[in-house]
Amino acid sequence: MIEVSHLSKSFGSLSVLKDVSLNIRQGEIVVLLGPSGSGKSTLLRCLNGLEQADAGSVRIDSVHIEAAMRAKERKKAVHELRSLTGMVFQSFNLFPHLTVLDNVIMAPMTVKNMPKEQAIDIAEKLLGKVGLAEKRDEYPSRLSGGQQQRVAIARALAMEPKIMLFDEPTSALDPELTGEVLQVMRQLAEEGMTMVVVTHEMKFAQEVANRIVFMSEGIIQEEGAPEYFFAGPKTERARKFLRQMAQEPV
Amino acid sequence: MKLVMDNLGFLFTGAYYTLLITIVSMFFGLFIGLFTAIARLKGNRLIAGIARVYVSIIRGTPIIVQIFIIYYGLPDYGIALQPMTAAYISLSINIGAYLSETIRGAILSVDKGQTEAALSLGLTPWQTLRKVVLPQAARTAIPPMGNTFIGMLKETSLVSIVTVTELLRSAQLLIAQYYVAMPFYLAIAVMYWVMSTGFSAILNVIERKLSKAY
Repeated sequence: MIEVSHLSKSFGSLSVLKDVSLNIRQGEIVVLLGPSGSGKSTLLRCLNGLEQADAGSVRIDSVHIEAAMRAKERKKAVHELRSLTGMVFQSFNLFPHLTVLDNVIMAPMTVKNMPKEQAIDIAEKLLGKVGLAEKRDEYPSRLSGGQQQRVAIARALAMEPKIMLFDEPTSALDPELTGEVLQVMRQLAEEGMTMVVVTHEMKFAQEVANRIVFMSEGIIQEEGAPEYFFAGPKTERARKFLRQMAQEPV
Repeated sequence: MKLVMDNLGFLFTGAYYTLLITIVSMFFGLFIGLFTAIARLKGNRLIAGIARVYVSIIRGTPIIVQIFIIYYGLPDYGIALQPMTAAYISLSINIGAYLSETIRGAILSVDKGQTEAALSLGLTPWQTLRKVVLPQAARTAIPPMGNTFIGMLKETSLVSIVTVTELLRSAQLLIAQYYVAMPFYLAIAVMYWVMSTGFSAILNVIERKLSKAY
């Protein structure tokens, strides 16, 4: 479903992705692990065109995007990529000037020209699903971080994406609030959503992921099923990373 | 004092023109400012360059020179404007340049994550600007724009020089007629002050409403 081939990306002289290739099947839940600055988030952001690669290509379903594409073609491909993917950000990025409900219905109405009643219908179902139906008329600033992130998930789901991308969705949350967000993500996973998750939540990775992809210094160092990865990582870098994560009181 | 009272109607007409010029210039200036700000932020090099030069010229020259160029300069090329029209055009162009700076700053102050979230949902860059960035920028831009508006209210007195009978020129006409200056100048000073503080008060209400929204 997702096919990343030979992706490279530099910020100035800093090379963040070095010839990365990765395939993800439909319904798979892939967790990207690695120390900060290892290129996980950049890889994720290349999947919906928020970041433009210097070389290589990304294919999702029938949408193909290549670094060598001309600007106009690329723009069209990026737009199609974004209709297939939904993204959840570390800092939620809810629209502060809109109520919870308006946050969720805005994109369907703007992008798909969906009639308002229909958009509200969908939004209410999704807000119910993330457990925030009663908050529909509040502004985001009135919600806790965990609640905001759940609204952000509902907002992304309202566009009916085939793939959900999570960029450290719980990193900005107080520990007692991460559970409610992870719970929603687990539920999505159970429903068969294809998910690519950048996170430092080891327990979530262990229990929910089908596959762990470990990155360091812009390279996929190793990948495998979580039970193997956590029991016996093959590379020294991964061992070191897991040791460090175990020490940190998360 | 009696002289002022007798001619109050005439002064009010002047005040009406002052207000009218301010509001009309502000209205068109807002469009020019918005357009210029977007041109500088999103335009290609040529468009952004033109916008930058426009802002630089307007901010770098006295407004009175701009008014003279429009009213006394253009007739050399066969473009003779009515005083009122010249006032609208020159003040709109002037205020547009200043507002574009305010609007540009306000747009830049909106968190990048907002744009990313909107784009990731499939909005086009233009939809993102309209639905997500500008509404948030407006909140930041409205207080300084209010100050520009009040500043403009006072600057309109400059167009009296091109024979627009706004508040200042109304007073000058009366002074020429009665040979007394002080009462009329004091009267219009009070009228300018009332209008300025009136708008300040309105502005405060708007600001408070805006900050309550979220």
